[in-house]
Amino acid sequence: MFPLSSQKKYWMFSDENDLTALREKTNAEFIEKHGADMTPEQREEYFLSDAEERTLLRFYELQLRDFCRRFTPPMPRATVATALHYFKRFYLRNSVMDYHPKEILVTCVYLACKVEEFNVSISQFVANIKGDREKASDIILNNELLLMQQLNYNLTVHNPFRPVEGLMIDIKTRYTSLENPEKLRPHIDEFLERVFLTDSVLLYPPSQVALAATLHAASRAAANLDNYVTDTLFSRDHLAGIIEAVRKIRSMAKGVEPPSREVVRALEKKLDKCRNQENNPDSEIYKQRMQEMLDEEDLRDNEKYAKIIQDQAAHDEKILGVSKVLSPATSYTQGISIFVT
Amino acid sequence: MDKYTLNGRIGEGAHGLVLKAYDTVNKREVALKKVLLKRIEDGIPTSVIREVKTLQQLKHPYIAELLDVFPVGLDFVMVFEYMPSGLWELLKDNDKPLNTSQIKCYIKMLLEGVAYMHENNIMHRDLKPANLLINSEGILKIADFGLSRLMWSDNTKPYSHQVATRWYRAPELLYGARFYTAGIDMWSVGCIFGEMLNNAPLFPGETDIEQLAIVLRLLGTPTSESWPEMTMLPDYNKITFPYHRGVPWEHILPDAHSDAIDLIKQILVYNSAKRLMAKQALQHVYFHSVPFPCSVKQLPKPLQGHRMYLKSKEIDTNTKLTILFKNLLSVV
Repeated sequence: MFPLSSQKKYWMFSDENDLTALREKTNAEFIEKHGADMTPEQREEYFLSDAEERTLLRFYELQLRDFCRRFTPPMPRATVATALHYFKRFYLRNSVMDYHPKEILVTCVYLACKVEEFNVSISQFVANIKGDREKASDIILNNELLLMQQLNYNLTVHNPFRPVEGLMIDIKTRYTSLENPEKLRPHIDEFLERVFLTDSVLLYPPSQVALAATLHAASRAAANLDNYVTDTLFSRDHLAGIIEAVRKIRSMAKGVEPPSREVVRALEKKLDKCRNQENNPDSEIYKQRMQEMLDEEDLRDNEKYAKIIQDQAAHDEKILGVSKVLSPATSYTQGISIFVT
Repeated sequence: MDKYTLNGRIGEGAHGLVLKAYDTVNKREVALKKVLLKRIEDGIPTSVIREVKTLQQLKHPYIAELLDVFPVGLDFVMVFEYMPSGLWELLKDNDKPLNTSQIKCYIKMLLEGVAYMHENNIMHRDLKPANLLINSEGILKIADFGLSRLMWSDNTKPYSHQVATRWYRAPELLYGARFYTAGIDMWSVGCIFGEMLNNAPLFPGETDIEQLAIVLRLLGTPTSESWPEMTMLPDYNKITFPYHRGVPWEHILPDAHSDAIDLIKQILVYNSAKRLMAKQALQHVYFHSVPFPCSVKQLPKPLQGHRMYLKSKEIDTNTKLTILFKNLLSVV
């Protein structure tokens, strides 16, 4: 249920300024951290501004959508919508310069597949990616946990598809004067496609997005739903707010325009230089860090092994009533730091 | 992670260790379920995703609460309230058999948890005594939502039929149904109820085929009247069993009161559409007649040492055919 959801609680913002402020802060923090010894001019020259980050993200949102469209087996639209939602959520508090959008994009889609029960294995998934598939699968699996964490483990996304179905049923039963409501569908679907490329889903509940889509479709199909909205759906007191929301959602969907190729290319060039190398899978520093993590993991496994030996020894001691000389392996267990890291 | 001090191991989960720890900030005992991701090919297992997703949505006194989740290195940790025991252990514990009031209380808690879950459109799909944990006060909580799924109202999406531990698996699943309802959880509830009444599992099949054979022998061969959809199920034509009249419930559950029998009769029916749902079951006279369900105070309090997670051996899906038929022949 949406009213009790994590989406409403943590991922709905009251207006666009909140989103802008959050993104500006994310951008400023990255620059502050990585450009401490630069002059303002150097910073501007070297780093992406928050507006530039936005442009790149818009481009990658389209890439995400296209990737999902081409996906085999065909991907259900709720999975695509959830993936786009994750992508938007992730970059509210993370800079493009910290985590490259092309890497987060595929991770979002992969996680959305799991959450939406569109079950594909990692090998099936990366078969849809051009280029080095082994590397792609490493990137996805390495980023999956990070993504979940950045989503605050709020995995369930409420999309407007079900509310649309609800509206369609309601129109068919309570507003029978509308002929052939099914003719709205293609326009609704087309509108929703565009909505997912806007910030609407972070600002309005799915029911309002669904209503906007339905009303947009009605105006396209030369159908009139005005009386349905004013007389059947809402009381007078709610009407003003709803109409404003619908108007806003429609105007945002109207303004979706893909950034030009040249602009994107220039920004990507800039990004290649200013991105955080620690999170760049091609950088030495990244490879080194991953190796360290794996080594540490092995070390922990050793500790665990030592712990098991110790437990066994303690057990034997209790049962047999003899205390054994502990094997040297137990020296690992000092302070058993499996978790206390 | 700093806020947890490890103080024991509880057992081995499907994807890693389950450890006991003390939460120094909230001053409580917790169970840490650790998922080792390094060895898992497809990343975070779907079962973990389902569990996190489901438990974030469900907050109920009879459903185990997910307190926290976080990564440790390359692993993933889920934090639960520490439950010192489970229904499985209580049923194993022959020294202290449960009395009727206590059984009523446990089944009532179970049904309330299930009713809440179903109201929220979630099927558990693996209800069994080992997944019903008991906290230090004696309260039962439904745990292990790794197989849980959101139900789709339009019923157009097929689900896997390889769910639910065999003894508690509904007959439609045994016949390979891909479209099923929350009724499969109710079948499991019925089996658990019967197990509590009898102090022994109701339908202890060693293989899927034997499972079906036992159910049919006890409850009788279904007819097109008692189970109209049966002939449409994917595996229906794969196997035929000899005709069975069925065994009267009074013989299956010799010690049970007639109210208990009347209730279980309405839950363990072949046609899932006719199966009592949790909310209806709670209205049954069984819960509203003497002896009444006992209060929490009168429930057995598990000692700290009472082992939980001593899960019964999971199903071995690679059983050899010879073994499979040996068991079958002894039943039919």
